[in-house]
Amino acid sequence: MAASVSAKTMLGQQTVTPPPPQAAPPVAPSAPPPVATAPGPVPWMRGLREVKPLPITPLVPDAVAQTSAHFFTDRQLATLRQLSEIMLPPLKGYPGAIDAGAPEFLDFLIGVSPVDRQQMYQSGLDRLDAEARQRFGMPFAGIQASQADELLRPWLRTWMTDHPPAEPFAHFVNLVHSDIRTATINSEAWSKAETAMGREEPDVGLYWFPVDPDIHREEPGREASAPVRHPAPKKQHA
Amino acid sequence: MTDETVDVLIIGSGHSGGMAAKCLTEKGISCLMLNAGPVADARRDTEPKPAYALPFRGFKQPGRLEHVFQSNEFNANTWVDEQEVPYTCDPQQPYNWVRVRLFGGRSLFWSRQSFRLSDYELKGKSHDGFGDDWPISLSDLAPYYSRVEAIFRVRGHADGLPQYPDGNFVPDNSSWTGCMQRFVDAGKKMGVPVCKPRSSEGVDGLASSVNLLLPDAFATGKLRAIPNVVVRELRVDPKTGLVSEAHFVDRLSRREMSVKARVVVLAAGTLESTRLLLNSKIGNSSGVMGHYLIDQVYGPGIVCSVPEARDGRATPELMGGAALIPRFRNLDTKAKNFIRGYALNVFSSAHPMDPRNFAAYGAELQKKLDSYSGSGFSTGIMGEVLAHYEHQVSIDKNVVDAWNIPVLHIDTKYTDNEFNMARDAVDTSIELAEAAGFEVLSKNYDPNPPGYSIHELGTCRMGDDPKTSVLNKWNQSHDIKNLVVVDGSCFVSGGWQNPTMTILSLAMRASEHLAEQMRQGNV
Ligand SMILES: Cc1cc2nc3c(=O)[nH]c(=O)nc-3n(C[C@H](O)[C@H](O)[C@H](O)COP(=O)(O)OP(=O)(O)OC[C@H]3O[C@@H](n4cnc5c(N)ncnc54)[C@H](O)[C@@H]3O)c2cc1C
Repeated sequence: MAASVSAKTMLGQQTVTPPPPQAAPPVAPSAPPPVATAPGPVPWMRGLREVKPLPITPLVPDAVAQTSAHFFTDRQLATLRQLSEIMLPPLKGYPGAIDAGAPEFLDFLIGVSPVDRQQMYQSGLDRLDAEARQRFGMPFAGIQASQADELLRPWLRTWMTDHPPAEPFAHFVNLVHSDIRTATINSEAWSKAETAMGREEPDVGLYWFPVDPDIHREEPGREASAPVRHPAPKKQHA
Repeated sequence: MTDETVDVLIIGSGHSGGMAAKCLTEKGISCLMLNAGPVADARRDTEPKPAYALPFRGFKQPGRLEHVFQSNEFNANTWVDEQEVPYTCDPQQPYNWVRVRLFGGRSLFWSRQSFRLSDYELKGKSHDGFGDDWPISLSDLAPYYSRVEAIFRVRGHADGLPQYPDGNFVPDNSSWTGCMQRFVDAGKKMGVPVCKPRSSEGVDGLASSVNLLLPDAFATGKLRAIPNVVVRELRVDPKTGLVSEAHFVDRLSRREMSVKARVVVLAAGTLESTRLLLNSKIGNSSGVMGHYLIDQVYGPGIVCSVPEARDGRATPELMGGAALIPRFRNLDTKAKNFIRGYALNVFSSAHPMDPRNFAAYGAELQKKLDSYSGSGFSTGIMGEVLAHYEHQVSIDKNVVDAWNIPVLHIDTKYTDNEFNMARDAVDTSIELAEAAGFEVLSKNYDPNPPGYSIHELGTCRMGDDPKTSVLNKWNQSHDIKNLVVVDGSCFVSGGWQNPTMTILSLAMRASEHLAEQMRQGNV
């Protein structure tokens, strides 16, 4: 009680006398309701401003936790894991794609991606598995590296940024390779290996926070991507 | 309630708006600047982070900024959000519109390549019969280029080539690295000039409106600025036929407001200026507004390796550096299947190679990467896009942005001239690289979607005839004499040259002319 009185005094606020109970319809109070007060003798913001930074290095969940994969089917995920193992195995003290949790991360990433990217991945993984069964009588997840090479090599291409191969299966093979590498090289596990080898962390970049973000803004990516002609005749905020 | 009428209202704070503010305030004219986005403060708004600490591990957030190939998870928040300020186009004819609304606009992030146009561009029709000449020539612009180059501290080497006009440079007398020298020699044999690149040094690497232009304007005490306000409409006083008012909306609160002005200088960046004029339904008695959208072809190029730099043998003497091949086609000779020309950006890199340059994976790929590291050499096209009436923007009546402002519909595509030029650029690059003894690893003939170059130009072209152009040669509206548009929308043709030096020089020229007209009481 003392606390709220002193805080009110400090803020120069007056106590509003509650109106007597009566049957008349409620009317707006003549003065605004009192400002919510602090639970201590001084406004809590002051304390917050004086808190010393905690000795905390924020932990990324990957350091201790597994991604729960749920977008791909079990078969597709098994194919992706085998593909990851083959395309980026552990080399020279660096973690491989499996150690970096790349397949599970890609399950998450593709799961929240536009439909065409999802379909490109799903049909690509399905085709690899079907070809392995047809050629070697085994799922892709169970074949030897040399057998996998027979299926993959004809589709490997060189290509320049933003211009992956156009043919759909070559597109998949080359993009999934690139994505597996990015998910691995940008992982915490990779970063730790770099540090252990005395190299500078390769992936530190200047991150921009939202600058004065629009208070009405909805989350991006909530709709199929922008700019295509809107069929609706009604005005709407695309 | 205030009833102030401001002298000059400047809409936009990028290179063009910043230059207008500097020139006008230095002539003693009071200006008010409105800018759609907030003021960024790199100390407050950025933090170095490893990719693994970002929500998408350094991948682009899916579905966000799909048309901004330059965006990544680190810088995503600096670009205009495509859902917040959408635009439309036929899905078969995508357009990449790359925008920044922070105070200072795109001048905060540009790559600073700095070139003059030559009379091959300004008087293109006289040279080859296509399109239209500008109403001005290099001799009109040269004095302004010189002053702009001094402000921006453009580093370059004088080459004495008419298609690559020299300027007021911080001299670049550096010598070529070994691999560049080999490329220069290969060029000599083929009649292809390989020159030093030219770029703005600015201060501490920043060559922006916010450090080179606006501080001078504020120092005069004549500039006031309001961030976070989006101009939706300009209104003309029916009695005078002059523009008299700007209506805008507070970006955050969505409060609608208006301000009166004697003169309006529009510097919202090519397509935003045109969008505002089209939405305001003013200045378009010619019917040409929105038409002749151009930019430059980017994307085609090659990546090579310098064999002598492999297996740990790359040295600073051999590798590194950059070059620029200015246009060399269709000057004195005729290419067989395209008109105009392109330039090539040439880079040598001492960094690891991109794995995409090898059709390999796993241990085999790693071996290649180890061996080739530090031996990279690449070229990339910057090609002229022809100005066609049909390549246009218009208002899409069915879609509005987050502030209920109707958006642009963009209708453009590349034609055979651009595709043939791109093919020639790649084939010529391969010939040069092989003549220099390099191994070509990958190549790409396909242009990126139009807009990708971030050099969108035209749509309010200048000209002497009010029937066929929107602005006169002083960037002043033919219809409304107190309306001046100082950004890239005034371009008649774009050439291969990155346009910012030209935008800045035109903005300087237009603003000083406006100041003189105001002094004489004509505006
Ligand atoms: C990554 C990158 C690299 C580049 N590299 C080069 C290069 O090497 N060489 C070169 O010459 N050019 C380069 N450019 C292009 C160059 O940045 C632009 O040509 C130049 O900055 C355009 O300046 P501007 O003032 O016309 O437009 P902008 O910089 O776009 O500024 C327009 C301003 O207007 C404001 N605005 C828009 N609409 C409204 C509205 N309705 N109401 C109020 N305000 C509004 C915006 O907030 C913005 O700040 C590059 C651009 C980028 C992004």
